[in-house]
Amino acid sequence: MKKLCVVFRHGPHGTAHGREALDLAMLAASFELEVSLLFCDEGVLHLLQGQEPEKIGCRDYIATFKALPFYDVEIQLVCKQSLADYGLSKAALEEELQILDAAAITAHLKSVDEVVVY
Amino acid sequence: MSTFIIQVNGTAYGDSAAFHALKFTEAAIQAGHSILRVFFYQDGVFNSSSLLAPASDEFNIHQAWVELARQHRLELVNCVSAALRRGLLSAAEAREQGLAHWNVSEPVVMGGLGELVTGMVKADRLVCF
Repeated sequence: MKKLCVVFRHGPHGTAHGREALDLAMLAASFELEVSLLFCDEGVLHLLQGQEPEKIGCRDYIATFKALPFYDVEIQLVCKQSLADYGLSKAALEEELQILDAAAITAHLKSVDEVVVY
Repeated sequence: MSTFIIQVNGTAYGDSAAFHALKFTEAAIQAGHSILRVFFYQDGVFNSSSLLAPASDEFNIHQAWVELARQHRLELVNCVSAALRRGLLSAAEAREQGLAHWNVSEPVVMGGLGELVTGMVKADRLVCF
């Protein structure tokens, strides 16, 4: 089956990009594509703990990331440089994540069949 | 020759992404490639509104998609949940929701994200705009 990488480039809540990216990732996984997620640029903010998006009228889709293992989405990659840009350390983040440099990200994107960027 | 599936995420006005998608689709057909379907997601669903009414000397992208679809039997599919959230409804959904108006009609059909994903599997290449 094809391999799909869903790239999160926008911050959560301010736009619908992240939520719609997650919907696509879960749907693709349920159709048995091999799905990986990559968080880079502002997208790394999805991974921060303790978000309360209901306060700004948004659904808490961040909680849904916890369901990803049930959909067999095991690979969640984070851009090392983006974490540094936002002053984030691994301790501040929610999930079991692999933190990659630019060369490793390039290698991953080359290893998949399709890349969708949100 | 290849088979493409086109994903349109850009809105109908104020963003050039959908226009590029339209031109890419036309060019691919001209070059003899086949287009499995065009899938509207995110703000791309605004392309499906038959109520777009720009001034007569302006480009109507909805009309352009409809003409291209009719000429080449192109499949145009909306992500139904993305569409409903943005007020893009077919007659059937308007009835179900008890709403007086609707703005999505043939040849655009409502579908699920599954149609995007099955398209990705079948096509040689997904191209997103």
